Amino acid sequence: MKIKIQEWSVYSVGDHALVFALEAKMDITILQKLKQLNEFINAKKINGILDIITSYHTLTVVYDMIHFLSDHNEASNQLLIFSTALLNEFEKNSLVQKKETILYNVPVCYDPLFALDLEKISEAKNISTQEIIKIHCSIIYDVYSIGFLPGFTYMGMVNEKIQIARHQKPRAQVAAGSVGIAGLQTGIYPINCPGGWQIIGKTPWRIFDANPNKLAKFKVGDQVQFFSISKKEFDDLNEYK
Amino acid sequence: MSIQILHKGIADSIQDIGRYGFQHLGIQPNGCMDIFSALLANTILQNDIKAPVIELHFPSSEIKFLEETIICITGGNFIPVINEKSVELNTPILVQKNEVLSMLQPMKGKTAYIAIKSDYQEAKWLNSNAYSGNRFEKDQIISFSKYLPNTSEMAQTLVSMLNPTLIKKVQDLVFMDAPIRILPGPAWQDLANNAITKLISEPFSIKSQSNRMGFQLVGPSLALNIPNNYLSSAVTRGTLQLLPSGELIVLMADHQTIGGYANLGQIILVDLPRFAQMKPGQPFKFVLTNLETAQTLYREMYASFKY
Repeated sequence: MKIKIQEWSVYSVGDHALVFALEAKMDITILQKLKQLNEFINAKKINGILDIITSYHTLTVVYDMIHFLSDHNEASNQLLIFSTALLNEFEKNSLVQKKETILYNVPVCYDPLFALDLEKISEAKNISTQEIIKIHCSIIYDVYSIGFLPGFTYMGMVNEKIQIARHQKPRAQVAAGSVGIAGLQTGIYPINCPGGWQIIGKTPWRIFDANPNKLAKFKVGDQVQFFSISKKEFDDLNEYK
Repeated sequence: MSIQILHKGIADSIQDIGRYGFQHLGIQPNGCMDIFSALLANTILQNDIKAPVIELHFPSSEIKFLEETIICITGGNFIPVINEKSVELNTPILVQKNEVLSMLQPMKGKTAYIAIKSDYQEAKWLNSNAYSGNRFEKDQIISFSKYLPNTSEMAQTLVSMLNPTLIKKVQDLVFMDAPIRILPGPAWQDLANNAITKLISEPFSIKSQSNRMGFQLVGPSLALNIPNNYLSSAVTRGTLQLLPSGELIVLMADHQTIGGYANLGQIILVDLPRFAQMKPGQPFKFVLTNLETAQTLYREMYASFKY
């Protein structure tokens, strides 16, 4: 199933997911529109919807084939009717309310102890490490996606002066809390894991906690601005102790 | 009811139907690789649909039952023995206190399931007993819900309720020798012309280092018409990702929630248990199907469990 409804593309992915997509680019107005659609679908509490995952320019509805669809009509027809009605209703109502965005000021220690790639980026870009830190901290980033791993936070957009490709070969181990950059994106690693981003610092904040009342610190649509802290301040704030 | 892991297998864990509702936070669904065999085991024991099962690979864990209970083994046939006496698959088995279950040889399939007769079991984390990284450890003791009295009477009742038609239906589906059915995905249109032909006509097989996160495939190298440069979006169970190297990877139960590689398509959900049971190196082919067929087959199969 694939249709165009105004600026939207709606298509099936596999046999149990439906995607609502806008133009394929990293753009805050696109993200905000998807976030509103996400909240709109959530509020309807539709039987059989298992997950709604917003990421960059797509919103994916994962559904349970047993409860979301019925035997009475062809699956493609049902999905077509569902998505057309949903988007029509959404477009009529979407202008009404805009929720406030949460801005987090996130401490990052850019000490060489944690900033494994900062010196090399400085050499490659011919910019001092101090200047890179200043540029990285100067922007209010939008959270475009949470995922891959529990709580991994994808943010954009990184200033072009410090944009750098990810490593050709990922590091075997990146420490939880590490802050990295890759192209337009900056991100935070939630756990110790392999990773290919260029590591420029570490936050003392625990951004994913298995406690069911906590889980991921950020959600898609939140805003993040980093500020530089010393090693001493990092130790005082360290939530990984 | 508790069990003790006397020897740990290569990748055994507690699983169930998985966890949904948390993927927007990056939390994986997890759950059984061969959901139909697991549902069959729980159906035979008249357990709740969400009852946890033991998922075994080969070499398998050796399991000691610390109390009398009733179990049912389904899925792959690894030649199960209890205290060195062979036992049957797909039937209720009365197990005495301190008896030990071992698996001798991987005759058929790649994943076996053990259900344990139980009442309601509280989910350990976020509505599920399945989670990444819950591999068994040697000497670990795992508790299931409360011990049932009158186990021998119950075992007889369960035997009398066996449904041979359902058992045959699950076995036929999960071990059927036929191509794996796929639906084209968003990046299908970006495949080079000869790549589509290769994908649906040449044989593939699963690499041995594959795990519950994903199966890497051995087969013809595939290429895209455009550079592999996609914004990350949600992936699901069965997604076929094309790596920049030209190799394919199929995402399985412990899959990541979003992915940035080319999403070529999806193995249909009804065929995923069969794919999960395929041994590394075993050649197979992909064949295209359509959404209606995929959904009808799945709904029809699921309905036979009466959950």
